[in-house]
Amino acid sequence: MIEIMQELNEIAGDRVSASPGERCCYAGDASQIMGMPDFVVRPQNASQVSRILRLCSKKLIPATARGAGTGLAGGCSPVKGGLVLDMSGMNRILEIDIENQQVIVEPGVVAEKLNSALKPYGFFFPPDPGSLAMCTIGGMISYNSSGMRSVKYGTVRNYVLDLEVVLADGRVIHTGKKVLKSSAGYDLTRLFVGSEGTLGIITQAGLKIAPLPNTRKLILACFDEAEIAGQAVIEIFSNGITPSACEILDRTTLQVLKLCDPLLAIPEEGDIILFEVDGTESSTSEAARQISEICQTTAKSVRIAVGRGMDSIWAARRLVGAAISRLDPTKTRIYMGEDVGVPIKEIPALIKKVQQITTKLDIPAMKYGHIGDGNLHVALFIDVMSEEQWQKLRLAADRIHRAAMELGGTVSSEHGIGLARARYLPEQVGTEAFSVMQSIKKALDPQGILNPGKMGFE
Amino acid sequence: MNLDLKAINQCVRCGSCRTFCPAFEESGWESANTRGRIIIMKGLTCGLSPDSQVLDSLNSCTTCGICTENCPAGVNPPELIENARRQLVSQGKMTIQQADLSRNIFTSGNTFGDGRDRLSWLKDRSLLAKKADYVYFVGCMNSYRYTDTAANTFGLLRRFGATMLPAEQCCGSPLLRTGFDARRFVDENCRQIAKTGAKTIITGCAGCYTTLKKSYPQDFQVESVPEFLAERISEIDLKQLDLTVTYHDPCHLGRHNQIYEQPRQVIEAICRLKEMKTNRKDARCCGGGGGVRAGYRDLSLQMAKKRLKDVPQDVDYIVTSCPLCIRNLRDAGAGDKVIDLVDLVAMAMR
Repeated sequence: MIEIMQELNEIAGDRVSASPGERCCYAGDASQIMGMPDFVVRPQNASQVSRILRLCSKKLIPATARGAGTGLAGGCSPVKGGLVLDMSGMNRILEIDIENQQVIVEPGVVAEKLNSALKPYGFFFPPDPGSLAMCTIGGMISYNSSGMRSVKYGTVRNYVLDLEVVLADGRVIHTGKKVLKSSAGYDLTRLFVGSEGTLGIITQAGLKIAPLPNTRKLILACFDEAEIAGQAVIEIFSNGITPSACEILDRTTLQVLKLCDPLLAIPEEGDIILFEVDGTESSTSEAARQISEICQTTAKSVRIAVGRGMDSIWAARRLVGAAISRLDPTKTRIYMGEDVGVPIKEIPALIKKVQQITTKLDIPAMKYGHIGDGNLHVALFIDVMSEEQWQKLRLAADRIHRAAMELGGTVSSEHGIGLARARYLPEQVGTEAFSVMQSIKKALDPQGILNPGKMGFE
Repeated sequence: MNLDLKAINQCVRCGSCRTFCPAFEESGWESANTRGRIIIMKGLTCGLSPDSQVLDSLNSCTTCGICTENCPAGVNPPELIENARRQLVSQGKMTIQQADLSRNIFTSGNTFGDGRDRLSWLKDRSLLAKKADYVYFVGCMNSYRYTDTAANTFGLLRRFGATMLPAEQCCGSPLLRTGFDARRFVDENCRQIAKTGAKTIITGCAGCYTTLKKSYPQDFQVESVPEFLAERISEIDLKQLDLTVTYHDPCHLGRHNQIYEQPRQVIEAICRLKEMKTNRKDARCCGGGGGVRAGYRDLSLQMAKKRLKDVPQDVDYIVTSCPLCIRNLRDAGAGDKVIDLVDLVAMAMR
């Protein structure tokens, strides 16, 4: 160990730690998956990462990359020990190329900071997770993150043009070019997006950016039941309207939002859908009118918010997932079964099933999420001191995952597989498809040193 | 260790605090942000040994409270951290700097270990009325380092019937922030306050203010100088100054006690106010609080330098109402441009 520490010090100077306290801090993310690393390294450039991985390869040391540690599936938890590479210190925006509608960034750039840097140019990086203020671009790419505006703008995968990746043996490759499209060979860029650090470590990314819309409007439609709300969403999409965001917030979520911000202008009762439309003043007015009209037939109330009123609702919505303790301080939100997704028309069925599962197990749940793309976040919260409640929670999460798969959906829409959902992956994609994934993993990381134990790979 | 596990478990490790923690911004290590500190506290309940790195993690928090302000789960990390420090100190686990600071206070009654009379700046001790409605609580910093400010403040408050304690002791804030028992000082100050018959204590130090308000018996009302002056601004004969100043919100006046508007009212009665880039509940910490200036001077000054970047262009002064903030911001390069609110008022008095 001393010898490895010395070698790491030679590579990264004092940006290496083996202290028990520091290792504890890097043992996990926001999920319940933990693993104690032997070392933590905070590299500053691709060359250091390359040297570190060469060392890991030579000594068969597991290497787990980590951004801001905001993941929800244990993706950056070093479950086999070894070293954690904290990439958040590589946080430079290397180039803003407005003419080519691209940016080149290091993986540790925080998404919101990128958007702040792009705002003066009238551009933005559209993927918009709730953790935008703290998550890093590297983490977003590794988990194909998306968020509230993916219904219109898609996921991170749609914006990555080129990656600089350090492979397990220390080789450094580029997966693309500075072009908006390319049909040259296998799409390695897309392969690495969502690969959760199991195939290589991203050290640079070329990203496509988009012009900021002129205006945004928010339509709040309040329904008696979540199922009816789900039907309204289907109706709106069937009418050819694509909102820039389409979020469901159930009544529990509304209570939590009110606790976060008592002045928030949202209904007190019911389940609400937030439809956001963006574009020009006239196009958003027309879309808002159409959505309001459709909702009015089944909704209890419909209203339109703009400006500050809209911003405060979005700000509260972003953090609601972590805010549930405000409802009951004795309970903690546990991220399990929290990211299922189904085809849009199955949303009402999924909501109903989740309701049945949580009622039967008598476990409180808050339901919210990106209903417009079929992604429902179920927030289960328990007294973490109670083993009985932990058992119920695990059972509920398992049933929710299985319900989503039965409806033709996915166990994870945007948070990733990590270890938390690893056991479902072969079942969801099929054993043959999973064996192809295993072959790819074996080809790129034959020694299995990169983020071992994740996505069902040893 | 006897830490509040329920409160610790309220943290969902979402990492929101990474965005705001000023110590983390300088360090970059996870153990230097609030989430890391909470993980370490949980570790301590499960057998993690409180080695020097653990002590550095817990003691490098300025208790500025910006994480509390922005925590979606409603956790109050400064409270947890102060409790953990207390537990560790009770087991004899502390840094050299913590030990030095507490020794200074326990031996001399002030943070500097200064043996001089606390009121040596007061030219005429007969001005100390034995009985009064108000007591001006000077604090260690103004008693020994910013004696002109102390004199200006007393000069102002005396007009309204304020006296001072004849043998004021440290309020206990540095002890309480860094994990020590301050009862001895609380009791002694309370005894002297009771003797004056005063029902209101006024202080110009944000650290003293929060301590007097939250850690002393509720036998008297506590007001900060900005609160006291804002209420009486029309009674003071002030001239307008052709100055533009900015205001730095001390964490222990602002986020900890929501005193945001009163200092601004006073400033605006005198001159132009131009806000800092981050202000009120979002104001950056000066980096000096929570024992960080004493324990981690470089880190503390780095944070102060960051805070100075928030200062708008072309202001004549950076006004604040906490001598510790003044000290740290001055040392970080702002020099005499940083002044106390009272000194601004003194400039404007006819």
